Amino acid sequence: MFKFVSGFCAAAADTPNMERHCTSVTRTPLNSVRVQRRSKSKSYRQSIRSCLGAASRLVLTPALTARRLNTSRKAPKSLDITEKVNPEQLSLLVKKEWQLSYVTPLYQFRHTQLKSYSRQLSAFIAAEKQRGLAVEVEGTHGSFRVSFGVVQGMSEADDDAETVLVQIYSKPLFAVKDEPPRAVWSGWLTCINGSPDYLRSLPKDFTCMPLFCSSGADGLSSLVKSWFQLTFDCCFGPLEISHTSLQWLVALWTNCHTESAIKHLKMMWTVPAASPLKVTYTVNGPDAWQLWSSVRKERHDGSNKEEEEEEDSIDIEEVMRFMQDLKSHFYRHFRTDLSAGSLDQVATALGSAKSSGRIKIANSKYMITTLTLLTECALLKMPI
Amino acid sequence: MATKLNLSEQPDSETSSLNDQTVSSRSNNRSLRVAEKERRKIEAEDPFVLALKYFTDVEAGTPVTGNDEVEKHLVLVEKVAYNRGLSPEAISNMLEFAMSLRMGTTLCARVLKCLIPATAVPQEAVVRAVVWLGVGKIPITTQVLFIKWVLTVFDMIDAKDQLRAIYGFIFSFLTDESLCPYICHLLYLLTRKESVRVFRVRKLLELQSKLGRQPFLLHLLSLYKVFCPELVTLSIPSRMRSGFRNHNSPWKSVLIGVQKRNGSQVASSIAPSASMVRDKTNSRKRKYRHLEIPALNCVVNKPAQTGTSSCRKLVPVVQLNSFAQLLENMHHIELPAQMGSLLGSSLALQYLDFVQDESALLRLNFWLGYALHEELLFCSDGGASQNSEEAVQFLNKLLSTQHFLQEGFSSSEAFLYKFLNVWDGSLFRPEILGLLSNIPVIPSSQIGCLLFEPLKQLFFTSSLFFKCGLMECLNNMLLKWLTWHSVYALEDDLDISLNSHTSINMTLSGFKDSVMELVLFVGRIASVGLQLEGCHSLLLSFILDFYETVCDTFLKYGLPLVLMPPPGVFYPALFATDPVNVDRLAYIMYRFKVNLTSAKSQEKITQQAFHISRQTFQEFNNYVVVMANCLLNYKMFHPGMGVQLGEELLLKSNVPQYWASYDLTRHPAFMSYAIDFHQKCWPGRKDMDLNSIKHPKPWSWYLEYLFTQGYDGLKQFCQGNISRQQTAGDGQGDSVSSKQR
Repeated sequence: MFKFVSGFCAAAADTPNMERHCTSVTRTPLNSVRVQRRSKSKSYRQSIRSCLGAASRLVLTPALTARRLNTSRKAPKSLDITEKVNPEQLSLLVKKEWQLSYVTPLYQFRHTQLKSYSRQLSAFIAAEKQRGLAVEVEGTHGSFRVSFGVVQGMSEADDDAETVLVQIYSKPLFAVKDEPPRAVWSGWLTCINGSPDYLRSLPKDFTCMPLFCSSGADGLSSLVKSWFQLTFDCCFGPLEISHTSLQWLVALWTNCHTESAIKHLKMMWTVPAASPLKVTYTVNGPDAWQLWSSVRKERHDGSNKEEEEEEDSIDIEEVMRFMQDLKSHFYRHFRTDLSAGSLDQVATALGSAKSSGRIKIANSKYMITTLTLLTECALLKMPI
Repeated sequence: MATKLNLSEQPDSETSSLNDQTVSSRSNNRSLRVAEKERRKIEAEDPFVLALKYFTDVEAGTPVTGNDEVEKHLVLVEKVAYNRGLSPEAISNMLEFAMSLRMGTTLCARVLKCLIPATAVPQEAVVRAVVWLGVGKIPITTQVLFIKWVLTVFDMIDAKDQLRAIYGFIFSFLTDESLCPYICHLLYLLTRKESVRVFRVRKLLELQSKLGRQPFLLHLLSLYKVFCPELVTLSIPSRMRSGFRNHNSPWKSVLIGVQKRNGSQVASSIAPSASMVRDKTNSRKRKYRHLEIPALNCVVNKPAQTGTSSCRKLVPVVQLNSFAQLLENMHHIELPAQMGSLLGSSLALQYLDFVQDESALLRLNFWLGYALHEELLFCSDGGASQNSEEAVQFLNKLLSTQHFLQEGFSSSEAFLYKFLNVWDGSLFRPEILGLLSNIPVIPSSQIGCLLFEPLKQLFFTSSLFFKCGLMECLNNMLLKWLTWHSVYALEDDLDISLNSHTSINMTLSGFKDSVMELVLFVGRIASVGLQLEGCHSLLLSFILDFYETVCDTFLKYGLPLVLMPPPGVFYPALFATDPVNVDRLAYIMYRFKVNLTSAKSQEKITQQAFHISRQTFQEFNNYVVVMANCLLNYKMFHPGMGVQLGEELLLKSNVPQYWASYDLTRHPAFMSYAIDFHQKCWPGRKDMDLNSIKHPKPWSWYLEYLFTQGYDGLKQFCQGNISRQQTAGDGQGDSVSSKQR
């Protein structure tokens, strides 16, 4: 397996050179810019999605509509979320790598009952841990303590349910008295800018928090999931971050560069060669931004004034252009066409995302944009 | 009455009871008695029963080496054990045989290894076996094996009280170093507060000083400490590897297999299933667990009850055992925690069907949709083929549920629309087609892209077998739609509620449009399909099945819609080489006629009736003319008919009497009948002249002869048309007027 690291990016001396490349690339006519091949799973997903839009009427209420990834979204704006959200709670959400899942709507979940849920879940975990021991052992219940809490302010639209954070602390069975319990697992359920049509179509008994992020031992994750399943009659499924979503993240994060330096844009590709190639492609932050702004600029030059008004929106075409330019540049240097491969991983100083469904948000300022995208992905996975 | 009496009698009292009974009941008795005897005999001859008997009765000290009999019996017991598991009795007998060492120590270990309980393990047997341990002749490895076995089946032991009673006795085995870890585990499972005694704590501490701080001792001690903290002053490390090691390896996999085979009723009725489920949870294949139907559980987290509901006690679905109970508690039933669990219980489904609770249905649909999506759509790594058996079971369960409720779930419908786009047409074909036939009516504006596009592609690229399957499926779909219509259509109101669970209403004309789209679609693909498959008679038969439904929409289902088959279906059926299909076509045309005439007469009576287009009548008449001319009137290629060929061309073909080449005597499907008839009619004649059948008398005999061969469709068709032709003049409207031309 080879590992390419784009040379010029590591040595920033080449910047003007790159600029030249970029301009030459961006001048290529738009219609020639096309992703030639797609990975199998990609086209498969797409066909599912394409039928989803049409299949909207099946659902009980016609409102569960056009479920495909938005083709245009607002450019992320630096948002001092700390004004809305308690920074202490926020610090629990950032700088940790989360494993993503989607969750079907929760039945009879009450934000007011969190205390009792904490008790129930601790009891459930204790019971599961004791299973097979056949005898009820008193006193061991305390080994795990669960706390449920609302992350106040972590919601955007009116229809979004408040984010719920679950933490599990371990208090070892025969612990020394003063030892403080450690958080061994944490997870949160959220819905940021969820499709209002979908959310409104659900009966009152249901609370939709489609995105579930967890971090901690797998055993505990599955215990927590099965408790939720039992208690709120919901289902958990793995949420991968699709190729398209990763590309979106590349663009959205790069777009933030002026406000908050992304330092570098790192992308990992898998190219299906005879022996599959893993390509790590790193671009310096300023370079990436320059390329991105040229893509943005071109659009604005070419477009009429009406569109100027929506300056802060980013279209999928721009994202694809940007990606194509990055790929062309890579091809120029290494004669390897990345469009044949798939993007597996994206990382910048703002965060990182893996196609397997792991995400890390390093900067809380832009987390709303990222979570909006992920909420959308999770809603796409809903069975009905 | 007599039979009842007799059933309870012992066979020994046979003669005495026989005397005072009537002759009739006596003979009845005898047959029962014979049957009973037979059963016993069969049972007695059952090699497994014999084998068990052998092990129960065998004398101590019987040699093992060279003893074929014991080998034979043991192999049989092993086979049964690994397949179905052993009954409690069998466990009891075999355990006694093994532990008593009647045939030496080698057999003992072997028997222990095959002691797979099918349902439960009798406590007495375990207690007796523990007592045998005390005799001390059993080699230590075998003793360990035995304790491991007890640990494995611990949850299946039917009661624990006697075992607890011999707690002290079991405790005494701790002194043996190799047994100690296992005995500790067993004691851990049996310990109660009253079993914790000072001398036991002391003994354990003593052992600990001898053996070191072994985890098994620590675990037992920590449990003692939990019960009686004052007795155990020892500080126990805060971090301990939790639990004892699992010692159940030799039996575990077999046990799971046996339980699976014996069905869930066993698994759910006894405790160990819990640990089994847990094993599954922890297994690597966790992601495939979504096909498991959740267990019926009560709601843990009850919503705060209001004053009115609290005085009425809610009955959970789990507690219902019979339909009568369901009826009794109809108005205060509590739905289970997970709606998916209803899929396994017909009683609960009946309730669900009754309540029409939107939230409940939505929960069920979320779960079902999730399971289907995860299993068949999202796992693109070929996972479906790995556990196809499980998936087939699941899908079949879903199908039978839908049949039970007589309607499809919206989540399975939504799933199908997506799945059809990626389906290869062979994965779970019968199940998917079954599900497909259950989907409710789709509005005509969407039916094309949701259903027809993917189906068309599948149809034209798949085998003949698939084509037939799809035709059957579409026929079932149409049948269900029509049935819905006839059930839900309100008499005056044109609005019909399509699916009792959804709020989607459809106007009658909307429904008619959808049905029409479906019928036209089938007509199109059937025409092309027949060409592709060379008018295969099997496919043709499935297509005619569909049209048998279509031709009766008005009379059978009250839907004012009559649609003719396209020429691509009609002509291949008319010229089919097998008589059955021709006969069915004749039947279909006959039914069309009946439907059309009754529609027409109704139109006259009720005034406000619907409009059947002129074109339909024309098409029908045209078909009837062609058919009659072809089969009966030897006027094939008559000008003005559907099939036209230039006169010169026909002459050029050198076919003699081409105009008669498809009449009932020469039609390829009926030729053999004509020949047969000819031979029967004129047995002496050497040269065959089929034309001689066409004289009026033999012709009517010939038709008679055909009708006696079971061609009822043909009979109805002929009688419906010919008789009128003969009594010409009573023109009965468009539908039959063709004959007079």
